[in-house]
Amino acid sequence: MNTPMNASTSTRTRDTGFFASLLTVMRKELRDFSRDRKTLALTLLMGPLFYPILMLGMGKLTEMRLSTQLEKPLDVAIVGKERAPNLVAFLASQGITAMANPPRDVEASIRAQDADVAIVIDEHYAQDWAAGRPARVSIVTDSTRRNAEIPVARVVSALDGYSQTTGAMRLLARGVNPGITRVIGVDRKDLATPEARRGVMLSVVMPLILLILAFIGGAHLSMDTTAGERERQSLEPLLATPAPRSALVSGKMLAAACIGITSLVLTLLAFKLSANLAGSGFARMMDVSFLAIGKMMLILLPLVLIGTALLTFLSANSKSMKEAQAHMTWLLFLPMLPAYALMVYPLKDTQLWQYAVPFLSQNQLLGRVSRGESPSPEQWGVYLAASLALAGLLWLSAVWRYRQEKLAISG
Amino acid sequence: MIVAEHLRKTFPGKGKKAAPVVAVDDVSFTAHDGQITGLLGPNGAGKTTTLRMLYTLMHPETGRVQVDGHDTVTHAAAVRRVLGVLPDARGVYKRLSARENIEYFGELQGLSKVQIAERIRLLASALQMEDFLDRQTEGFSQGQRTKTAIARALVHNPKNVILDEPTNGLDVMTTRGLREFLRQLRAEGRCVIFSRHIMQEAAALCDRIVIIGNGRVMAEGTPDELRAQAGNDNLEDAFVRLIGTEEGLHA
Repeated sequence: MNTPMNASTSTRTRDTGFFASLLTVMRKELRDFSRDRKTLALTLLMGPLFYPILMLGMGKLTEMRLSTQLEKPLDVAIVGKERAPNLVAFLASQGITAMANPPRDVEASIRAQDADVAIVIDEHYAQDWAAGRPARVSIVTDSTRRNAEIPVARVVSALDGYSQTTGAMRLLARGVNPGITRVIGVDRKDLATPEARRGVMLSVVMPLILLILAFIGGAHLSMDTTAGERERQSLEPLLATPAPRSALVSGKMLAAACIGITSLVLTLLAFKLSANLAGSGFARMMDVSFLAIGKMMLILLPLVLIGTALLTFLSANSKSMKEAQAHMTWLLFLPMLPAYALMVYPLKDTQLWQYAVPFLSQNQLLGRVSRGESPSPEQWGVYLAASLALAGLLWLSAVWRYRQEKLAISG
Repeated sequence: MIVAEHLRKTFPGKGKKAAPVVAVDDVSFTAHDGQITGLLGPNGAGKTTTLRMLYTLMHPETGRVQVDGHDTVTHAAAVRRVLGVLPDARGVYKRLSARENIEYFGELQGLSKVQIAERIRLLASALQMEDFLDRQTEGFSQGQRTKTAIARALVHNPKNVILDEPTNGLDVMTTRGLREFLRQLRAEGRCVIFSRHIMQEAAALCDRIVIIGNGRVMAEGTPDELRAQAGNDNLEDAFVRLIGTEEGLHA
């Protein structure tokens, strides 16, 4: 056998530069990941497929509920309907019919969710009516059930109407102008179109989904290339190469960010497509122009970097892949916090500090952009500076972790 | 040439009050170019930790290591460039082919595409891995994986080679082939260090043997010197005597 190697004329190596190593690592991780077809498909296609289904489905469901509950005749259990035939006749003219066989215990039937609302007519209704005293009618309902909102509102407004018309007739019979009992005439003018009202729901859900997707879209890759690589025992030889540790970790993070961004772009395109499919009403409640999509991308980009850096840092701190995956529970919850906080405590999105708080800032910015408003230059400035600084800080932590000798040693 | 001087390494014990575990207490030896140096010792004697300090993955608490005159702590990058390492952990990327695995490390070593291709050709023929070079490593046998890991470690043609238990878990034929490969590395004037816990193998291959037990160097010399030192012809018996206690054997 001829001597294949000669140590005296050792192969000359260039200094391994930071960027050359970074690109090498990124290329390798992407190639490795792209050969894992199933995981790749799940990661890239989940968001784009799930999103339109959710949006179209939710819109459809809201529409169905509104139309059925508002227009359908409402069948209500009326206890003691024989005591007030006029009232029952009036209610029937308003589309609220008395149930033929009302349950004996209406309270129990409401607790059991058999009925949304019931009317109880007082025993002394007829006497009170004749004597000109307020005749008592009770509405039985459970205010915590959102499903009952519309039926209850219909019953209340019908009873109000009956009370007012009859009262006015009584005054007229005594020669008094019924108008004097109305001190102010209040008219409500709701400027929100039905589509916009549907959009309120979407405006909460849409940023949330985009945030979660941007934040942990590249999660599999971040965890796999650090915790997974250590578990598969290939991290130790990798760390024994002269490539700078900062380049290794940055390459891995960039690969994960690439996957995250790709899945995000696909999702936003699917979002635009589903908006076009849903018709003009949809476009009125949400801005889906390419400019708006571009702005959303700019809002979500720093979040992708924050997410991959945080996950890489956490994975480098985990003893195993399992431990790294256990972090997902609270990480998933993190982007939801501001959305839930805003539901119970809505904040005006004008104060500048909000644009420095991670997740809250993205939430507010996405809300603005989807309503067709443009965030001010200061808001953009504060947001980009704060979020990129956070991403940088997390990146430094991950690099610092990669420099520790504990990292290399697997279990 | 690799020079280790008074290496010591401890790890924090499990639990808050536990005493630190001394992995390596005091290890000094010199491995010369053109020689095969064997680190011999029972399981848990501190061989792997010693090697990890040699290939810059761990910093010694006291003492120092010099590889071709470079200090492993202050000039880690220079050391890694002249060092080829087959660590205890020898995972290969299973969705990449053997060739792609080796190419990846070649690129990280800063080699050009042409250099890498040439090195892979030479290593593949020396390690007899041509027939599985372009297959994805998923499903490789232990021997095929080890060969891939060795080729990966030597892609940059390093002057010094450190192998942690290279023949562990390999069949007789592969072991023989690997031994031949190590002799070839020696003939090329390289400094080769490998660790092993089986005496016969070390005796068959090594120019010098360093026996480690309980984190210390128990004896050092050529196989013949060690036999003489222990007054015993059988190297295995010599090993037991030099380690001192049965405890060291079963540690």
